[in-house]
Amino acid sequence: MARKTVLIDTSLCTGCKACSVACKAWNELPAEKTQLLTSYQTQNAFTTKTWTYMTFVEKYEDQKMNWLMRKAQCFHCADPSCMKACSSNAITKTESGYVVIDQEKCIGCGYCVENCPFGVPKVDQVKKKSYKCTGCIDRVENNLLPACVNTCQPGALSFGERDVVLTQAKKRLAEVQKTHPKAQLYGEKEMGGTTYLYLLLDSPEVYDLPVNPTVPLSLTLWKDVIRPVGTVAVGGAAAAVVLGVFANLFRGNYSNSDHKEGGKD
Amino acid sequence: MALKMETRNQMPKRIVEDKVLRFSAGERLSHWVHAISFFVLLFTGLGVLSTSFQPAMAIFGGIQVAQLIHRIAAVFFVVVVGLMFFVGNPRYHWRWLKFVFSFKKSDWQHVCAFPKEFFGGHGNYPEQEKYNGGEKINSLITIFGTVFITLSGVVMWFASSFPPALVRWAYPVHDLSMFIMTAAAIGHIYLGLLHPDSRAAMSGMINGYVSTKFARAHHREWYERLKKEQSMNEQKNV
Repeated sequence: MARKTVLIDTSLCTGCKACSVACKAWNELPAEKTQLLTSYQTQNAFTTKTWTYMTFVEKYEDQKMNWLMRKAQCFHCADPSCMKACSSNAITKTESGYVVIDQEKCIGCGYCVENCPFGVPKVDQVKKKSYKCTGCIDRVENNLLPACVNTCQPGALSFGERDVVLTQAKKRLAEVQKTHPKAQLYGEKEMGGTTYLYLLLDSPEVYDLPVNPTVPLSLTLWKDVIRPVGTVAVGGAAAAVVLGVFANLFRGNYSNSDHKEGGKD
Repeated sequence: MALKMETRNQMPKRIVEDKVLRFSAGERLSHWVHAISFFVLLFTGLGVLSTSFQPAMAIFGGIQVAQLIHRIAAVFFVVVVGLMFFVGNPRYHWRWLKFVFSFKKSDWQHVCAFPKEFFGGHGNYPEQEKYNGGEKINSLITIFGTVFITLSGVVMWFASSFPPALVRWAYPVHDLSMFIMTAAAIGHIYLGLLHPDSRAAMSGMINGYVSTKFARAHHREWYERLKKEQSMNEQKNV
């Protein structure tokens, strides 16, 4: 299946939160008690049972309020840190661009939680399993729209082949920039290009998104340098010991009486 | 501090007949608690190192139990050895630190001769004190490895109490310390059990005593110093 993309056109979003309800309904996630945090926002982090939620920012400029809304969910990165960090090969990336966690393999170590630049995965401390948005891959692979896209009334969410959606997004961006000069696409190149692509009305930091998200340097160093070099070092030490035993046997050091008491003078 | 700790207790008689006391009971306890907990930690940690080790975690009753044992063993690894620097007869522990942190030219010369010795040959190096250059390096790896693996381990254990950037760095630090300590432990076990020359040192870690023959051959400077100190003490007591 070719690379898919979901465009989140925040200029069309009305903040109705139907997407998060649809997500819970399809994925059979129980509701959680929430409270008003700021503006119309009732959640400010993912949980094991909340895979998508709405953020609201009230930005005042020239006596005018810009109400910036964003549907937050897993970005499904092309270059996912969580997958690289996973201790158990439980996280995989599909050809269609989805990053999915296999809970059968997951041991709940939490390495994905700490390494995701967007704070997406969460570990259920009782079940010892990590959870996040699946991108409704079960629906997508059966030619159904993701639950959130399917339910979105103002048409802020659209789904399709990546190149088609990207062309559509750029066209829409040119339109939006006439009224919102700071509008930009987010996810076209970030983290290798994310499956969930945003059309933001302002710069990412206004939405509390990292301006330049990257795979953490510590993660690259850990998995690509320390792991292979360390394995070679331990293997080398073991090989040296085997060689040492054979060298001593060959030299007859084990039968030499001088050596028995550890003396050599 | 070190000096105060060193002088707190009186020296026992070190050379008894054909044996020399090398390690106190406290030192031996520290060594073995550290050694055993290190291997428990290593084996219970393998499950998160590679998926190929995950089936083996069944030995502990599954990976979740292995992780629990890992944390219990970590407490012993740190607390018991840490306490030994302050309770009982800690003088030897502080002396050990003082020894290994004074790395001299003669230690370096021993290190240069070490590869040859390791493979059963004989290199040239000057007479050594209680710890030779190689033992000092092994001690330094143990000390720094323990400090770094402990600090990173605390950050990983209580990850939610620390900033994510620090937790992200704790993983590579924990792994790097583990690899270096494991490589050192492999060499250390070989020298203690399988190396024809140096395995005579093993008794020092079991009953505390090494033969005077071994002491003379491997740690002559130390042996001569003890002999001098002992005869001076005897003269004083007469």
